Amino acid sequence: MDFMTIVLTFMPFAVGIMDTDLRQLLAQVARGDRTAFARLYDVVSGRLFGIIGRILPRAELAEDALQETFMRIWQRASSYDETIASPMAWMATIARNQAIDLKRRSAERLAAAASELDETLADESPDPESLAGQARDLRRLGECMQGLPNERQQLVLLAYRQGFTREELAERFKRPVTTIKTLLRRSLIALKECLDGAR
Amino acid sequence: MALDETLEALAGEYVLGTLAPDERLEAQTLVAQNTEFAAAVDQWTRRLAPLLLAARSVEPPAELRARILAGIDKLAGAGNTVVDLKKRLGFWRGAALAASAVAAALALFIVFKPVPAPAPGNYVAVLQPEGPGPAFVASIDLKDGTISVKRLGSQAEAGKTYELWAVGGGRANPQSLGVIDASLRIPANQLGKVDPATLGETVFAISLEPQGGSPTGAPTGPVLYTGKLVATE
Repeated sequence: MDFMTIVLTFMPFAVGIMDTDLRQLLAQVARGDRTAFARLYDVVSGRLFGIIGRILPRAELAEDALQETFMRIWQRASSYDETIASPMAWMATIARNQAIDLKRRSAERLAAAASELDETLADESPDPESLAGQARDLRRLGECMQGLPNERQQLVLLAYRQGFTREELAERFKRPVTTIKTLLRRSLIALKECLDGAR
Repeated sequence: MALDETLEALAGEYVLGTLAPDERLEAQTLVAQNTEFAAAVDQWTRRLAPLLLAARSVEPPAELRARILAGIDKLAGAGNTVVDLKKRLGFWRGAALAASAVAAALALFIVFKPVPAPAPGNYVAVLQPEGPGPAFVASIDLKDGTISVKRLGSQAEAGKTYELWAVGGGRANPQSLGVIDASLRIPANQLGKVDPATLGETVFAISLEPQGGSPTGAPTGPVLYTGKLVATE
């Protein structure tokens, strides 16, 4: 499964080298330093745009989401707490939530006649401020993901990283929506048990 | 650990982003009302976030950089702002008295929210003063057709009252929506044609008026608060 490969390839970059710099930049941004904000943009915009692009393939939506993401980083930098979240995990979660929100909103606009509409505030999703130190978590999560059957790994990844709804997953995997729901929940509980048991 | 498996799975799926709208509403309500559930949601956020860190880097178009840098300049000059609801909530949640009031008010809106409508159903505006002073939470429910405004904080000085106005969104003049005592609940049709497309452009303002409201039909006292609507659920 390509999950571990990808994680291991990117992990040093993701959690090691830049953390200190990013913390410092965020602290400067929190004080309203625009030069630091521009530098932060230069350093992380590509990675955040990558996260967003998986959820929003359409360029203009992705660009809007990136803009929203940086507005939030600017507004919230002062609430960032390095003791509970790595800077990258914090910003990545903001980007992901923005993209998911925009996806829901645009899907809603496109499907105005559909019965099921699903609009939410951008940060309806949980606040990223409570994320923990990442390196060990990342490895553990990779191991626990590998413990899931292949199909369930895909379900979780498509939902979380690409913003797939249950309906979209049902279509992709040719399964009833109720089955998808059950599989997702079982996968989550299994992940939780695996992660918690490993502490 | 304290949560049963159903709630734990609900929290997990909430973070995963796959809940149906009614289930998401349930989860949001639980986050506001149940600290154990809220903690479970935080934990799921932490558990799953590492999945994002493997993303491939994709350079955004060069012109976006200038747009975003210009964007923060605009934000910096925004003054009395459209309040980011969740951020405000998170902020207030930690601040003893105001926190419970706001959380309670919002929980109320959420709990009483009807089944999601086939159009953006609810709008909430938090009207927040620049200095000290009461905050107001205004919500419009397009489904049952009401506007609710709650005051969170002190009363107006003696002989004065707060009055709510709708400004812009196609209106030539500010339109009075009524006087707010502790709270105000008025039919949404008082807003005139409620078009979700333009509702977002309506600015809500609260002015300080003589007892009984503005004598002229237009704001006469100082405008203390302004807020815009943000779509919610």
